[in-house]
This record gives sequence, C-alpha cells and structure tokens, in this order.
Amino acid sequence: MGQKAKWLWLVCALAPGALQAQSSGVAPAGPFFLSLHVAGGTGLVALGGGYRVAHQRLEPELLVGYLPHRLSGGKALAIFTLKATYLPFAPTLGHSRWQVTPVTLGAMVNYTTGRQFFLTNNTAGRYRPGYYWWSSAVRVGALVGLRLSYLDPRPGSAPRFTSLYSELSTNDLHLVSLLTNRSLRLPDVLTLGAGLK
Amino acid sequence: MRQSYLLSGALALFLASCQLVEFSPNQTYVPVAERNLTSRNLRQLATAGPSLGDTVRFVFVGDTQRFYDETEQFVASVNQQRGIDFVLVAGDISDFGLLREFRWVNQRLQRLRVPYLTVIGNHDVVGNGRAVYQQVYGPLNYSFLYKGTRFVCLDTNGREYGFGRQVPDLAWLRRQLADTAARTVVVSHVPPTDEDFDPALVQGYAATLRACPNLVLHLSGHVHRYTAAQPFHDGITYLTTYSLEKHRYHILTMWGHRQFRLETVVYGAES
Repeated sequence: MGQKAKWLWLVCALAPGALQAQSSGVAPAGPFFLSLHVAGGTGLVALGGGYRVAHQRLEPELLVGYLPHRLSGGKALAIFTLKATYLPFAPTLGHSRWQVTPVTLGAMVNYTTGRQFFLTNNTAGRYRPGYYWWSSAVRVGALVGLRLSYLDPRPGSAPRFTSLYSELSTNDLHLVSLLTNRSLRLPDVLTLGAGLK
Repeated sequence: MRQSYLLSGALALFLASCQLVEFSPNQTYVPVAERNLTSRNLRQLATAGPSLGDTVRFVFVGDTQRFYDETEQFVASVNQQRGIDFVLVAGDISDFGLLREFRWVNQRLQRLRVPYLTVIGNHDVVGNGRAVYQQVYGPLNYSFLYKGTRFVCLDTNGREYGFGRQVPDLAWLRRQLADTAARTVVVSHVPPTDEDFDPALVQGYAATLRACPNLVLHLSGHVHRYTAAQPFHDGITYLTTYSLEKHRYHILTMWGHRQFRLETVVYGAES
C-alpha cells in the first residue's frame, strides 16, 4: 500500500511548484506554492502564491498583477487578485512523471488600483445612491482551465511539482452583457490566461 | 526564422482580434485598426460624402450602452436609408467603461454604410473608460466642418469630474463657435438641463450658445427619450434623442441658414 498510496495521493494532489512539499505527502493542507500568471484579466503579468488545502484539491492564492501604462492608457495600475482553483482529479500519463488535469474550476475577485476606479457608487462621493450599481474597482470572475504538471523527484527530500496551466475566465460585467444580449456569444466574453505554479 | 516571426505575428493578431487575450477589462490597448476612429471616420466622411448642395442629412441616436442586439437592428435599418451622410451617436457607447464594450459596439457600427461619429457619455468615463474612449475614438472635445456646417462635439459629463467647473470646457467651446460663417450644431451627451451637468456652468454654457448666431440646434442623449424645448427661452432649441433600446432614431436634415427637418424612424421589434 505504502508506495502506491503515496503515488496515488501525489497524483491527486498535483502539488504545483511547491516550495517545500510535506514529507508524508498526505497532509490535508500545504505546502505553499508560488505563481507566475500571464494575462487573464489580472495584469500583463501577476506574481503571487498560495497554500493548498482540502487535501490539496483547492488552491487559494493571492496575485499581484502589473498593468503598464502602455496598456492602461495612463499611470501603470496594480491589480490584486484573490483566486481559488479546484482540481477535481489529475491522472498520470502512463508511468511517466507527467500528470494532466483536464479540468480545473475556479473563482476570483480582484481589485484594481487607480483614482479613476471607485469601490462602490457611494464611496465615489459624486453620485446619488443607486446611480451606478456596480463597482468599477472590483471584478468577480469564474474560470475553467487545464494543467500539466511535472514531478521533480528529489533524492532525500520531498517531491516537487511544477505546473503549467491555462484557463479561460470571464467577469461579472462581461457576463451581464452576455446574458442580456443574444448577439453576444460565449467566446466574446472569455479571456485567456496562463501561468506557472 | 522569418516564417516563425510571421507565424507568431499572425497568432498575436488572431488572439488580439478575437479579444481572447486581455490583461485587464480596463485596459486601453486595442489593435491599431481600432484606434482613433473619430479621425478615421472623419477622413472617410471627407472623401466619401455625397457633396451636392449644402444640405446635410444625418442619423442621430444616443446611448448604445449594452444594447448590442438593438444596435445590430439599428445598423440594418440605417443601411436601408438613402441619402444619409453619417451617423451621430450621442454618448454612452459603453455601459461600464470597459474596453470590450467599445469594441463590441464598434464591431456593429462599422457595418454602417456611412461613417459614424460619437461624443463621450458619462458611462464612457466610468473606471478607465475615459482613457479607453481616447484610445478608441480620440479627443473628448472635437469639431468638424461638413457641407458648410460646423459640428462641435464636447464632453459635458460634469458629474464624473466631481462638478469641478472644468467640464464642459467653455473656453474651448467659445473658440469653436467663433467661426461665425458656418451653420453650427453643438452635440453633447448630458444636456445642460440635466442634474448631471455641472450646475455652476449651466448659465455660462447657455450664454455661449446664445451668442452664436448660426446655431441650428443643441443635440444630446443621456435621457434615453425624445425631448425638444427652449429651456432658456432664448430661441435656442435643445433636443434629446432615443437610446438604442427604444427602437427609434432621428434623421436630421439641415439646409439654408438655420432650417432643419426632424424625422423619427421606428425599427426592429420591441420585445
């Protein structure tokens, strides 16, 4: 059971780019990981990290994204994203060290800095209540993705995973636009993102 | 090597054109072909306009904001009209000031057989929308001369700037109206009679328009319905037009010194 169970667990866990994996590999939470994310509405590039929970099926993380002035049209902006990714399963490719997660699901909420954005209609200080119903600074999003992970065996220490992933996401305001218009199609509101963990 | 450059270039173009790669919903970056649409459309107007006589005839509509289905029906209807010089959209192109909204609207309006021009609306200023509008369309205040008519388009979304007595820019407006030789039309999103117009500038704005002897009309959107009045009792007519959701638009014809005719067109199904 020992070796096999350990393998099975690691397969399910998809430990991505762990800084320090748990030596037993069966811990309900941890370890920490680092993320490098590109596009996907969270900045040109975003850096961050998180901690795996729920028997390593759920990855909450914090990303800090950078939107340079060439993309923002004014001052460079920072985008802070709280994101959670759920990994339902991750089969190994044959007897290799490669694992594939065909479906990941996630949700995120992000805050964009900049004086032009308001947290709520009322905090902006220039509108009567209900003038604008949404926050221009905060976006809520949902995503689906896939990922490929490589297990890096380290003699004498815990195994380490490096994962490459991509995901399609949308946000609340794009979704509202889609739902209220027949002439918009799902691809119109999707955004592609990719990264390394 | 060159092939791989071409391939990656084509891939980047494909990704950009299908909008899939976006670094923020608030970003202003768009492919070059979708920038500076105001000056592009003005160039198109200058070269393609039917140039007989001094009669100018244009479609006037407001507030396309999140009415994409209706915008498609609108385009189909306008394309069946004859003798239209251009289409004027009185602001609120977008609903949330997001880049993709501007692109969705332009993808539909660029199917018009005639060029279209816009002014910025309050919803286009929200968030990073002002920078997006500047990237996609161009200056917030601009004017152009067409068939002896001076069209002055300006930002009157005072509330978005905290009523700082800066918007609308009255000094700029006065300079545009100094061209007294031309028949003149002033176009803005928020009419000066609205609570979203900077209250400190209402009288100055009305006085500036009053001082222009060739002013035919003041045109606005924002209120999503047709209104026509002379609120300052000075002989200046202020007109507002329908939003896209009302399935109606106006056709304005202007000739002579200050003569005009206003037609209303109903299109599409009201659902």
